[in-house]
Amino acid sequence: MSKAKIREVNELGTLVKIGSGIALAILLIPVFIVVLTGLNSGDHLTFPPEGISLRWIFAFFRSEEFLSAFLFSFGLALITMTLSTIFGTLAAIFITRFSFPGSQLLRALFLSPLILPGIVLGLALYIFYVSTDIGLARSYPGMVIAHMLVTMPYVIGTVSASLFNFDLNLEQAARSLGASPLKAFRKVTLPNISNGVMAGSVFAFIVSFGQFDVSLFMATPNNTPLPIALYWSLRYTFEPTAAAAGIFAIALVITSMLITSKLVNLQKFSGVKFD
Amino acid sequence: MEDTKDKNNFLRIFYTYRPILLVLPALILFIIFFIIPVLSMFVLAFDKPVTGVLDLQGKWTLKSFLRIYNRSLYFDAAVTSVSLAALASFITLIIGYPLAYLIAKTENVARNTFLMILVLCAMQLDMVIRLFGLMVLMGDNGLINGALMYFNIIEKPIGLMYNKLGVLVGLVQFSLPFMVLSLIGIIRGISPAVVEASRSLGASPNQAFWKIIIPLSMPGILAGTLLVFAISISSYIVPALMGGWKVMVMPLHVYQQIAEMGKWQFGSAIAVVLFCTSLLSVIVYQRVAIRIGGGRA
Repeated sequence: MSKAKIREVNELGTLVKIGSGIALAILLIPVFIVVLTGLNSGDHLTFPPEGISLRWIFAFFRSEEFLSAFLFSFGLALITMTLSTIFGTLAAIFITRFSFPGSQLLRALFLSPLILPGIVLGLALYIFYVSTDIGLARSYPGMVIAHMLVTMPYVIGTVSASLFNFDLNLEQAARSLGASPLKAFRKVTLPNISNGVMAGSVFAFIVSFGQFDVSLFMATPNNTPLPIALYWSLRYTFEPTAAAAGIFAIALVITSMLITSKLVNLQKFSGVKFD
Repeated sequence: MEDTKDKNNFLRIFYTYRPILLVLPALILFIIFFIIPVLSMFVLAFDKPVTGVLDLQGKWTLKSFLRIYNRSLYFDAAVTSVSLAALASFITLIIGYPLAYLIAKTENVARNTFLMILVLCAMQLDMVIRLFGLMVLMGDNGLINGALMYFNIIEKPIGLMYNKLGVLVGLVQFSLPFMVLSLIGIIRGISPAVVEASRSLGASPNQAFWKIIIPLSMPGILAGTLLVFAISISSYIVPALMGGWKVMVMPLHVYQQIAEMGKWQFGSAIAVVLFCTSLLSVIVYQRVAIRIGGGRA
């Protein structure tokens, strides 16, 4: 440890360290408990724990309920990610490149699903699906649409941020050297914003994968995402099989956040609520 | 002659407005599946409440809203929602500030990134999974009660969950990352020179903290508190699991009225009240955020 760092840590004061410890404990202890429950050898996690085994991991792979929900959520998140990334990237290019009356309003519209309570959005869509009777109520496409609405703000937010940082002169240089607008965009702009696009799609994936609120009114026994399946089981028991499913979800989240940290500068990342 | 001119005109208009094609897919999706559904839910809330009827009757009334106001069951739920969310914002601020301060002042890139990844992972992990952990910790047969009984500190389990305390702990766990992320930027923006100036003028570290750093972080504190209020009051999953349906808040009533009772108009009216309460705090939040971040919060 360097001298500078020791001084830095000392300056922070004991109170800050204690406070940070409490905050990190509140954030992380529940996650550790899920991992412990999924790996414990007893029928449920007790104090003191009985021992470690992989029996619940195997039980998860055999479980009709949780494995199928996990795979359902994974597939749903992949489809949502793909569609949201395409729709959202195109929209972000338009909003950042072309200023016109009402462009701020359009931006606000695309980000507004972030501030609308998820359960309210889910209810509004459910009412719309049922009353219009166009076959979307409790259907797979209906659920994909709901997930697109809540994930697109993340794509639009990260892609616009990387477009703001991109030097437009580079693209204009390509144009003046004879590249068509599309070619200049594809060969010059896109490689430069690709990190933002990828970070946005990782966020879209993970937000869809962990989405509970808008799925609540959309789920059916055939279309059950993992959060909903876990919710129904948690209302009655604490099944270690559910915790084993949780371990895989935790691994997925850690992986995607590690990818994000390689793609964008987390030190400049000051919130997920983009304005 | 005329034909080519028309064609050229058409092409010119097409090329001028072509960029709109970029935004069209997203815009159409949002108009059909966002604006129209949310507006229709608002309209439905003002229609005559009839159980099991979803079709628009056009008999406009404030009956549903008066019912929320007059029936103590629903009015109390609104009060519980607001007070739990307010309390959660306050506690989250006290707990979140030191961590935000630590992250903002950690200059080592690797350590800073590590802490940011921890906070982001905690935030992005499915809330139901985080609640599983909390419930195993706080339940009657849970780890805390188990440990306390194992060491003979208590004889029978103390109720930590399925009450307001449980919901509050859940809300704090849920919203802490949002608070920390709202604070980091503003704390990092405080110039060390200002703090050093106060120190060289004789302020103790304590005085510098309370008189300089805290007032300068006020915009972030306000923004974080309002954001946490908005997301806490909208949470369905935390009161449903941690409160075990014993602590009734607005989101639970919305679900119950619609999914279990088929009271479409009344359920929509509660959703409208919930939406407006949360929107109000978000509007204030954005005003604050724009002022502190110059538009880039």
